[in-house]
Amino acid sequence: MTRYILPTVTTDGIVCTCSACGFDLGPATAPWKAGAVARDLPLAVAGGPAYDTGFAGVFVRQFICPGCATLLDTETASAGDAALDDRLPLS
Amino acid sequence: MDPMTFSIIRHRLFRIVDEAVITLKHVSGSAITNEGHDLMVSLYRADGTLLMGGVGFLHHLTSAAEACKAIIRRFQGQIGEGDVYLLNDPYTAALHTSDIYLVAPIHHEGRLVAWSACFVHVTDIGAMNPGGFAPQAVDIYSEGFSSPGLKLLDRGEMRQDVLDTILNMVRSPEMVSLDLRSMIACCNVARDRMGALLTKYTAPVVDEACAALVEQSEQLFRARLRALPDGQWQSRQYLDVQGETARVLLTMTKTDDRLVFDFTGSDPQSRHSINCTKWAALGGLFAPLFPLLCYDITWNEGVIRPVEMIAPEGSIVNCTRPAPVSVATVGAIQSVNNAACTTIGKMLAASEAFRDQATAVWHANHFAIFKFGANQRGGYSIGILTETFAGAGGARSFADGVDIGGEIPNPISRMANVETVEGAFPIRYLFRRRAADSGGPGQFRGGTGGEMAIVQHRAPAGGIDYVISGKGARHPMSEGLAGGYPGAPNKYVWVHADADGAPGAPDRLETIPGKAEPVSWGVYPLRGRDALYVRWNGGGGYGDPIARDPNAVASDVTSGVVSSSAAKEIYGVALSSSGAVDDAATSVLRAAIRSARLAAPEAVQ
Amino acid sequence: MQDSATLSYLVATDVGGTCTDTIVFGSDGGIHIGKALSTPPDFAHGVLASIESAATPMGLTLEDLLSRTHLFVHGSTVVDNAVLTRDGARTGFITTLGFEDTLHVTRGAYGRWAGLTEGQMKHPVKTDRAAPLVARDAVVGVTERTDCFGDEVLALDEASVAAAVRHLVQDKGVEAIAVSFLWSFLNPAHEARVREIVLREAPGTYVTLSSDIAPVPGEYERGSTAVINAYAGRITRDYLTDLATLLAARGYSGATMVMQGYGGLLPAAEAADRAVGMIECGPAAGVIGAKFLGDLMGDGDVIAADMGGTTFKVGVIQGGQLEYAREPMVDRFHYIAPKIEVVSIGAGGGSIVAVDPLTRLPSVGPRSAGARPGPVCYGLGGTEATLTDVMLLIGYMDPDQFLGGSITLDRAGAVAAVSRQVAEPLGLDPTAAAIGIYRIACAQITDLIREITVERGLDPRDFVLHAFGGTCGMLAAAFGEELSVRRVIIPYTASVNCAFGLISADIAHEYTTTRTLAAPADASEVNAIFAQMETKAKAQLNAEGIEPERQRMEWSVDLRYCRQVHEVTTQVHAATPLDTTGVARLVDDFEALYERKFGKGSAYREAGIEMTAFRLTARGLMPRPKLPTEEEGSADPSIALMGQRPILDLTIGGMATGRIYDFTRLRPGNEVTGPAVIHTPITTIALHTGHRARMDRWRNIVVTTDA
Repeated sequence: MTRYILPTVTTDGIVCTCSACGFDLGPATAPWKAGAVARDLPLAVAGGPAYDTGFAGVFVRQFICPGCATLLDTETASAGDAALDDRLPLS
Repeated sequence: MDPMTFSIIRHRLFRIVDEAVITLKHVSGSAITNEGHDLMVSLYRADGTLLMGGVGFLHHLTSAAEACKAIIRRFQGQIGEGDVYLLNDPYTAALHTSDIYLVAPIHHEGRLVAWSACFVHVTDIGAMNPGGFAPQAVDIYSEGFSSPGLKLLDRGEMRQDVLDTILNMVRSPEMVSLDLRSMIACCNVARDRMGALLTKYTAPVVDEACAALVEQSEQLFRARLRALPDGQWQSRQYLDVQGETARVLLTMTKTDDRLVFDFTGSDPQSRHSINCTKWAALGGLFAPLFPLLCYDITWNEGVIRPVEMIAPEGSIVNCTRPAPVSVATVGAIQSVNNAACTTIGKMLAASEAFRDQATAVWHANHFAIFKFGANQRGGYSIGILTETFAGAGGARSFADGVDIGGEIPNPISRMANVETVEGAFPIRYLFRRRAADSGGPGQFRGGTGGEMAIVQHRAPAGGIDYVISGKGARHPMSEGLAGGYPGAPNKYVWVHADADGAPGAPDRLETIPGKAEPVSWGVYPLRGRDALYVRWNGGGGYGDPIARDPNAVASDVTSGVVSSSAAKEIYGVALSSSGAVDDAATSVLRAAIRSARLAAPEAVQ
Repeated sequence: MQDSATLSYLVATDVGGTCTDTIVFGSDGGIHIGKALSTPPDFAHGVLASIESAATPMGLTLEDLLSRTHLFVHGSTVVDNAVLTRDGARTGFITTLGFEDTLHVTRGAYGRWAGLTEGQMKHPVKTDRAAPLVARDAVVGVTERTDCFGDEVLALDEASVAAAVRHLVQDKGVEAIAVSFLWSFLNPAHEARVREIVLREAPGTYVTLSSDIAPVPGEYERGSTAVINAYAGRITRDYLTDLATLLAARGYSGATMVMQGYGGLLPAAEAADRAVGMIECGPAAGVIGAKFLGDLMGDGDVIAADMGGTTFKVGVIQGGQLEYAREPMVDRFHYIAPKIEVVSIGAGGGSIVAVDPLTRLPSVGPRSAGARPGPVCYGLGGTEATLTDVMLLIGYMDPDQFLGGSITLDRAGAVAAVSRQVAEPLGLDPTAAAIGIYRIACAQITDLIREITVERGLDPRDFVLHAFGGTCGMLAAAFGEELSVRRVIIPYTASVNCAFGLISADIAHEYTTTRTLAAPADASEVNAIFAQMETKAKAQLNAEGIEPERQRMEWSVDLRYCRQVHEVTTQVHAATPLDTTGVARLVDDFEALYERKFGKGSAYREAGIEMTAFRLTARGLMPRPKLPTEEEGSADPSIALMGQRPILDLTIGGMATGRIYDFTRLRPGNEVTGPAVIHTPITTIALHTGHRARMDRWRNIVVTTDA
């Protein structure tokens, strides 16, 4: 049965997939973000001048589907902070 | 029990809270209570558990329950009819010292049958800095008067020595006295109206209805939880005090009909007053939970039972005495609000049936700016900048966030008119408007925050001073959902006027002449021709920005809430010189954004 | 009896959302009533139909009646309708540079939650602002600035005003322009200059200045008022002009007076430029009608409750004084204009009764079956049980005698619907379910009235309750008892109370001057402020043909304690112009009023008191209609007894045998005791054990509860 972890990411308990294109984001035993393209954008790069605080080291972290390039999730992150781990029970 | 009587009693309990709120606002007459709706009134059962929560600052509903229980423990056996108790110690139950709880037993035919509790943010509590938020405090001892529970009224009689002691320790004793009077009046109304209800329906029937009401809320909430997917969702919030950054990390796990909020991994307590105690953290996570998950369920103890909180001792969300906490309500508590809003939003969005109840984070970064000084009419003024209550709505799965639309934990706030502020303080606004590009981009855009600038105007002392505190301005905090961006961060700028620049008519930050200095924490002057610029955060976005309807982007540009460069670079929308969407060029832009996303992946731990 | 050819008439017509009601007063004291359906958006046709329906039973044609009418008084929902249906003019807004978003951000979350129920407020994810009346790209900021003393800080940039006007009219196609600058209520010079420029650049554009329409502090509410007025201005003017033309074509040559939301009348020509004044003027007229009856019967403290098919409305009269709304709204937009406070909830005869599938709580409304399809028992296609169906089940309606027997009510259908929607989900029999719903409706109304009175610091036990509308009579004795009001009155004119209010109103002009003076202020300073307004007011009344002896100048002042937000409008009782004693008495009255409204201990005298606004009500007294009376006779009501049937008796908690009376056969002095019902042509009055109803000399039914 297909269940949502987020509106953008689904799992059948075996693998995680992009809900837009069905791209395989890897086994459900691992965080789905491991199978996504991740990038840390400095605030001003991500959001333009309105996000420019004048301080480096804070990012809009993006997780992107390697299949369709849909932005699956974002998080505000300081350099070095672990990615947030959203997951469903395996069964 | 008879469903009709049950329905009538439920409605009447609701109205009793309502009447008590009206009384509180009437008697107080203060701007923070009346405009900001920074208040709370609720009813509790005889054992201090929540019976009926009202609409106010929702992070108080559970803390005031703990305050009732603390009073029951301390005064067991001496609780008399007509007593009113005061409690404001954060390590016992309160959020911070300036949010005073008054807790009053309700007796019927000689038996204690219920409690009422209320709070207002009192004008002053005698902390290091005026107004209650004390950025310069180093511990709880420098945050003013605090009591783990005292009897203020003994069988209806004011204990004048106690009152005088409190008033002796605060800056504005008359106003604080009025704040206390308003809360006493509120307790009296709650007691009288409960008395009438008990007389009409008898104590056993009312008690049965109350028990049924709690039971019903628990059953309904558990059923709702069962209808939502099991899973674990995480969120993270940052607090910054002049470069010292602290994290709140939340893992929310939902299993069957239970919810666990685990703050393990959050940073240790800070030396600054942004910390919160565990009762405050509990209140902080329930504040969004009530309106997001229980919008159609009575807010009472039944909703609290299925929820567990784990907050490591000594962390920023469960600090140990004597850590300072006076900024908690705009510090760690709000971080908990935001973190819980994110994980609850993710859980709702993970359910196709409940996705339309999900929201990105609303107004995540309060700025407590208290202005004080001699005013233009020969008096003295002190008060909060009510723009902090103006907020910004988070985007939803079906609609944009509401621009300057408030916040979830205090659903019915409002901000003062410019004319009201200018009439009371010797200041003049240069502008106040929605802040362009502040709403988190997404398929549905977060509501914008706002921006404003003030200068002193005809101040007899040449200006005023202000206390500023909060969580800093280095981090976006209104997190997005499902690929939506967070809303833009707050920004506070002190513009030092040039020696002899012409005043002109600046209508945005860039045209205010002078040298800009960021400020975010402490006490500052606003004098001469200097200006204070404040921009507050927008709400988080929902979904991928390049999936946004290009016409909605064009309309945002026309309205001035999105810049044309953001339209192009973030939304991938090309506009003609008339402002209409260029479909072909938009497709090209969006394709380019997709390519760029996949072009240079960077490793993230 | 006067010769019919020499009779003259006063005609009053109130256009409500559903019905257009007319009341005709003859110079012989005769009262005639007319009713027709309202005809939005061309309300004028419904007005003629309503007047005609009153004329016909009088044996007159519409033309006969109108040619003998010396005064036509009118209230209409035309402005409310224009705003609610977004049918107004394309409107532009000119404001101070830097504050262009003021209307669109509505003081933060205020505009997101204002006008919502508490249940909706608790569900913020599903809330939004109302769609604005002005598009954001039709808002232009111009350089100018005035400060809190009314002093100019920045001069008006006239060139940019001219450019703004051309842009709005030519590029944005606006037909109306609203202007609101910061602090314009203290110094209207910049706004006045903008009007000149608009009329020069784009003659024919409808202009509203905030300093004209609402010269009071608060830029959001003041600007919003200007916009609403500009938005509905043309429609209002056209409507009143068209109506005058139609009436003239049917032979009417007298004056037309238009009801305002504050309960006073304005000549039609003046009303045409104050669209916001007409908002909710019908309900305001209803309160005025209740006040007239209260005055007549010697009751200064009246709760006026009106319950028809869809809403329950309440107004409060205290000590003969009307209460103005603090934060009036139309749709969900705030505006500032003196308006009688009338609070409404969605509860009426058509309210659908149901059991919430989630909480299993039975409820009444707020969903309504409206007039169509209406209650199940009307047999017009309604399938959902309503409060009216419940009333049929508990014996308060006679299936065979509804609306004079013109339709037979479908009792079986009503029983089936109540069973399905309420009884079965709760495991009750249909009668028990109906009784429960009746109790809940009473409790909800009791709670609402309590809230409204408490909000004003009043105690319902001091009040007389007037019950208007088709549904109110069935509940009024019951909720009146629970509220412990002194007595409940179902007025003879209950069915056309709003129209009745129109003929009991005076011409009234409201003037406000905003200035802050420390209290107690110098009497000469206060007098100077009022003198200026009085000069204007007298000229106005003179121009309307009101002789000085019919002119009344009523002063009131808004006062507050410094550092507190509640302002209290306090009437000046002392002789005017004031002397030092008079000012002192005003301040004393304020303090007493403040504590009464906001509770003991709420006054914070230490901070001082200030006067913030000065209000003049300039009245032109209108002749009051004299209601016919009849001497009270025997208490025995048996002449009106029609029979008996089982009815709900709340006092005993179940069905009981009740006596059934015909209102039209009751005589003044007759007394009926519960359990009983009295059927009137428009409603049913339900009496429980312990209730005593007497017909008074005006044919009002007065219900008291035995101690």
